[in-house]
Amino acid sequence: MKDPGMLRIAILFSFAITAVAQSPRNAAPSGPGSPFSVAIDAEITKIETQFVAVAEAMPEDKFNFSPENLNVQGTELKGVRTFAAQVRHVAADNFAIWAPMTGKPEPEGIKAPNGPEEMKSRQEILKFLRDSFAYSHKAVLGLTSENALELVEFRGSKVTRISLAFLALTHVNDHYGQMVVYLRMCGVVPPGSRPRPR
Amino acid sequence: MRHLRVFCLLMVLSFTAGAMAQGSGSAGTAKPSTPQAQTSPQPAPTISKVIDRQISIIEKEFVSAAEAMPEDKYNFTPAGLNLQGSDYKGVRTFAEEVRHVATANYMFWGAITGDQMLPGTNGPNGPDNIKTKAEILKYLKDSFAIGHKAAGMLNSENIVSTVKIPMSPNPVSKLFVSTFAVAHGFDHYGQMVEYLRMNGIVPPASQGQ
Repeated sequence: MKDPGMLRIAILFSFAITAVAQSPRNAAPSGPGSPFSVAIDAEITKIETQFVAVAEAMPEDKFNFSPENLNVQGTELKGVRTFAAQVRHVAADNFAIWAPMTGKPEPEGIKAPNGPEEMKSRQEILKFLRDSFAYSHKAVLGLTSENALELVEFRGSKVTRISLAFLALTHVNDHYGQMVVYLRMCGVVPPGSRPRPR
Repeated sequence: MRHLRVFCLLMVLSFTAGAMAQGSGSAGTAKPSTPQAQTSPQPAPTISKVIDRQISIIEKEFVSAAEAMPEDKYNFTPAGLNLQGSDYKGVRTFAEEVRHVATANYMFWGAITGDQMLPGTNGPNGPDNIKTKAEILKYLKDSFAIGHKAAGMLNSENIVSTVKIPMSPNPVSKLFVSTFAVAHGFDHYGQMVEYLRMNGIVPPASQGQ
């Protein structure tokens, strides 16, 4: 990279892309899976790594934290999800969004979009989250260049498979962004923002 | 927090897909509104249209959020609230969040279109001389325009071809770049909606819920 400006951008961008991009599976459209599933699977891995780390970073005694409870004057945080509810919601919707790709019904007991209310412990919720990403990795294997534009049914509507893949990824990223703000409210620096070992 | 976000996105997706379904012979959900619509098959979905729609989704939500913050609070950072026990040292201001996503858009989508970063871009938040709310919003909107331009260049064949992006030593597929660009926007959108709420502003996408 000859352009020093671009070099600085590359260094300063705080993306967790390098490890993903270095993966041989993402480097070129070859290897196991179709080029479509390989590209999307790499994205799932990236956000899974970040999201699970953030979920694990919240201490158990603060897992039900809600910024609403801080009662900060001038804010508008009434009724927002707790941290635990954010994790449960993302896990439940991972299952729900990827299910149409499998050709099978949504797994029982998911209770999307908010997940099972009776699931309250940090341990249970983290398992639910990890299982949802495992399910995502399996489901994306069915995505190919041939069927990416095929329509599947999702919550009563017909959408393309590739659109659902986008929805799944963007949905997790949206809530990840909210959760890093929650973490910092609790004095926890998000794992992705901590100094990296050299 | 936003129980209906998936629902709203689905409505956008289903609008497109429903219309497309009519053209493909599948059982779509959108009902034709005019006799002409009943006899005019809709074009089949294409990679270009799907990605363009995804860019439109993040563009609509992100620009709305960026516009919702008043100018006098554009440099807000949660560190300024001095919340007891919090750790917001060194986080981006609201303005920097917007500039960062615009800069990333230029970088990601420019890898496909060949558009260059703006002069003076020496870091992840773009040129330092883009400071006012109006300047930042223009920078943001221009960056999404490059996204739409890139989408127009994509098809089922070239979406799996590879390009170089600055932070990756290996080439990555244009599909990877496309999903990353849109997902990255939503990551920062999620942070910005919290910044908005900290300032007493319900994010536009959540208003009326």
